Amino acid sequence: MDTSRRNFFKGIAVGAAATAVAPSHAATERPTGDSRQRWGMVIDLRRCIGCQACTVACGTENRTPLGSYRTVVSQYELSEGGRPRRAVLPRLCNHCEDPPCIPVCPVDATFQRADGIVLVDNTRCVGCGYCVQACPYDARFINAETGTADKCTFCAHRVDAGLLPACVETCVGGARVFGDLNDPKTAVSQLIAEHRVSRLNEQAGTEPQVRYIGLDGRLQSKVEGVPAPLRASLEEVMS
Amino acid sequence: MNPEVLQLTGFSQQPAWLPWAVQYFFIIGLSVGAFLITLPAYVLRWSPDQRAARAALLVALTTGLAAPVALLADLHQPDRFWHFYAFGQAGSWMAWGSFFLPAYVGLLTLYGWLALRPELAQRARDPGPVGRVAGLLAGSGVELPRARRSVGWVTAVAAALVALYTGAEVAVVAARPLWHSALLPVVYLTTGIAGGAGLALLFVGRFETPRRTLFRWLWAALALTGLTVLAWMLGVSGSGTAHALLRLATEYRPVSFGLWLLFGLLLPLVLAWFHRAPIAAGLLAISGAWMWRWEIFMAGQGIPKNDVGFYGVHLSLGPEGLLGIVGTLGLWVLIALALTALLRPTANVQG
Ligand code: SF4
Ligand code: SF4
Repeated sequence: MDTSRRNFFKGIAVGAAATAVAPSHAATERPTGDSRQRWGMVIDLRRCIGCQACTVACGTENRTPLGSYRTVVSQYELSEGGRPRRAVLPRLCNHCEDPPCIPVCPVDATFQRADGIVLVDNTRCVGCGYCVQACPYDARFINAETGTADKCTFCAHRVDAGLLPACVETCVGGARVFGDLNDPKTAVSQLIAEHRVSRLNEQAGTEPQVRYIGLDGRLQSKVEGVPAPLRASLEEVMS
Repeated sequence: MNPEVLQLTGFSQQPAWLPWAVQYFFIIGLSVGAFLITLPAYVLRWSPDQRAARAALLVALTTGLAAPVALLADLHQPDRFWHFYAFGQAGSWMAWGSFFLPAYVGLLTLYGWLALRPELAQRARDPGPVGRVAGLLAGSGVELPRARRSVGWVTAVAAALVALYTGAEVAVVAARPLWHSALLPVVYLTTGIAGGAGLALLFVGRFETPRRTLFRWLWAALALTGLTVLAWMLGVSGSGTAHALLRLATEYRPVSFGLWLLFGLLLPLVLAWFHRAPIAAGLLAISGAWMWRWEIFMAGQGIPKNDVGFYGVHLSLGPEGLLGIVGTLGLWVLIALALTALLRPTANVQG
């Protein structure tokens, strides 16, 4: 197990104790999380090889419909002085501190737990799509099978059981590191302390809680460039 | 376009707001716009032109009654609509809309009934089932101008709230710079009035006076639309949203935007100004109101928030696309047929 995972399990001890005394998560009851924790992710782009194993692991774990993704790895070719290089950018819900997807929801179906994880109560969601519009990161979509809003949950069901999110667990290069930002001893906190980290689209003012190491400035906000020559959804490719 | 950045793999999310949303914003816009046209004659007593007011009222009623269906259809979980009332959230414009819309439609129906009672009573004299239904609806059939005016005022407040919420709901979405303009609600209103006047022109028959009244509304609304869009592009409501609109017009959708400008705005404006070709002017104004919403909603959702390029606009043929659009139109035609069957032919209406 790498450092990030070891630290993660140290951090989870507090969470597990809290979960033990918390009421069981009945289908209609919202998981609240532990306010002493603040989950976040650091993605070390120097380690990401763009293999999309995280995309696949997420789809398998969360059974997203074909052609819809909770996380993807965008890939670019960036040139400097005529010298091209490959750049990757895993994208997912940033579990923002100040998430604009929440106040627009007309039925209070999308909410933030005390530990910062932003979730959708899909027994309440009416599928109006307003939160999909309001998210500045294009992190949400309407799940074609459930007819409700869908997005990355940081695998809250796994985290509450003391496991890592599926994408972190599966990451081939160990690029995705997950943990408690409130605990200075976790790998995420240490990476943030030791490296220059950046966040996507900071000017949106949402305080995203996914940070990147080695992010090229040209990819930080809306990317301007030449679109991929072939942009087909997976659904189209499979049909 | 920055040639130093080349996208290798791109992913696009499907648009969350379907053509149903365009249909809803289109027909509720027409309803509110047409309702405003009824006010000078029916409520404010500024104008004696009852025929123009009646035609506009028919437009307001028929579109107003069809609008909630289009709205429900845009929900991906329509049978949960009651959640709006059970779990409403005060911070959401959409939540407020779920109260404003039924209030408006209910009041509008009452207002329309008060205005059309005498006509229904006349129709009730006809033998046959239509006469019987008209008789049931007419009540005593006595004209109640004071009640009509009072209800008209309250309906005007509800209409203003509907115009406000439909515009604000979209304009507050900072994540989409194209939508994030304080002028967006204004253009929704002005194009709604233009579309409402355009449809009323089709209802008004061959009478000169009401045509002139409706032509005046039409060119004024279109001129305001043009000025507001110009102000938007000049950055009056912020440089980010101006840039987004200019980019839509010149880079992403130049042909569609050009078609809207020419056939949805300028041509009906000229026809209305010169009082020419009322049917063509009306139809063009209606399509202009629709095209504007289509471009803003559907093309607007095709602009990636973070990534490169433009996802494009795709119209499926099923209920989520073309069939939905045709279905809303069909529903409106049904309502219009039912309502006009209960009333006198236009030719018999007093001017
Ligand atoms: S990234 Fe989008 S969906 Fe996730 S919390 Fe932020 S605003 Fe909400
Ligand atoms: S789609 Fe669901 S979660 Fe999103 S705003 Fe609508 S009701 Fe709320």
